[in-house]
Amino acid sequence: MSKHKNHLNNKITTYIDNLFSGVGSTHQLFDLKEELAINIKEKTLDFKSRGMDDDQAFKEAVISMGDLGGLVEDMRKLGQDTAKQSVYSTMTARISTAGIIIGVLLILFGLFVIAMLHFMGLSGTEVTGSGIFIVAGGMLFTYSVLTRETTKKYAMNKIRAAFYALSVGLLLFGFFTSAVARYATGEIYISIGSLMVFFLAGIGLLLFLILTGTDRGKR
Amino acid sequence: MNAKISTDLIRGHTDTIILNVLRQGDSYGYGIYKKIFQLSGNRYELKEATLYTAFRRLEQEGYILSYWGDETQGGRRKYYRITAKGEELYSQNKKDWNFARVVLDQLIQGGLDDVKA
Repeated sequence: MSKHKNHLNNKITTYIDNLFSGVGSTHQLFDLKEELAINIKEKTLDFKSRGMDDDQAFKEAVISMGDLGGLVEDMRKLGQDTAKQSVYSTMTARISTAGIIIGVLLILFGLFVIAMLHFMGLSGTEVTGSGIFIVAGGMLFTYSVLTRETTKKYAMNKIRAAFYALSVGLLLFGFFTSAVARYATGEIYISIGSLMVFFLAGIGLLLFLILTGTDRGKR
Repeated sequence: MNAKISTDLIRGHTDTIILNVLRQGDSYGYGIYKKIFQLSGNRYELKEATLYTAFRRLEQEGYILSYWGDETQGGRRKYYRITAKGEELYSQNKKDWNFARVVLDQLIQGGLDDVKA
């Protein structure tokens, strides 16, 4: 008797495994397979108790389940989605992590070089020239933070994050050029003039982005 | 007896039928299948393929929830339970059905002379 039961169990497992062969494995698929297996088993035993032999009972049970193709298709889609999503999210997460680290290092590098050149007694133009590292680091950092998915927020769209990075870059570049212009020409008004151009563009872009932003919060 | 219910006719009511069964107590896939067959006076069979698709949808939308039974002999069953949201959907669908069936009956069998102006 127990030998019969094992035979039936194997038959059902084989049938279900074949039915869902090639479907990406998910938690839902695992559960559904177990659910269908017990259903087919109970149905087969019911048919048997009405006098059918093993094979016939199993065949009838499978036929009377109806067309399971729709469920297989549902599971296939679910499997593909999770596979895609996990690859996608680990890739973006890695890029974002690398971006944040490099961005911070660039900013620090810029600050150290400025301090170093300043104490070496070099001219103001040479000292402020290293500020370009801070501009680049700031842009990279902004972009990487915004494209990062956290437990509370979804990652920002890449194009939008790039525009944010550009606006931050314009603001920082404004300060950078004004400092360079100040020391290169020795004139404050030229410095203010060059600050104005980039600063206004940066603020304009930033305001536009903030005002058109959508909520990235997770429920 | 050759009378049959066309799948077209029943399709829109699958969810309500399942909710009606679960409203009367938690049950599992094959159990729900048997109860529906019994409820129809052995005249209508809602295939498991249809049932499981409906379970997945109803659960995703929060009308039912599921849990594994603690059977140890020969495999576990997955049980379904109706939620408060499901009860609400059921009463609404029942109301809609009672309205629709009167109108449909009139549309299919009624004569224009019967309608009081």
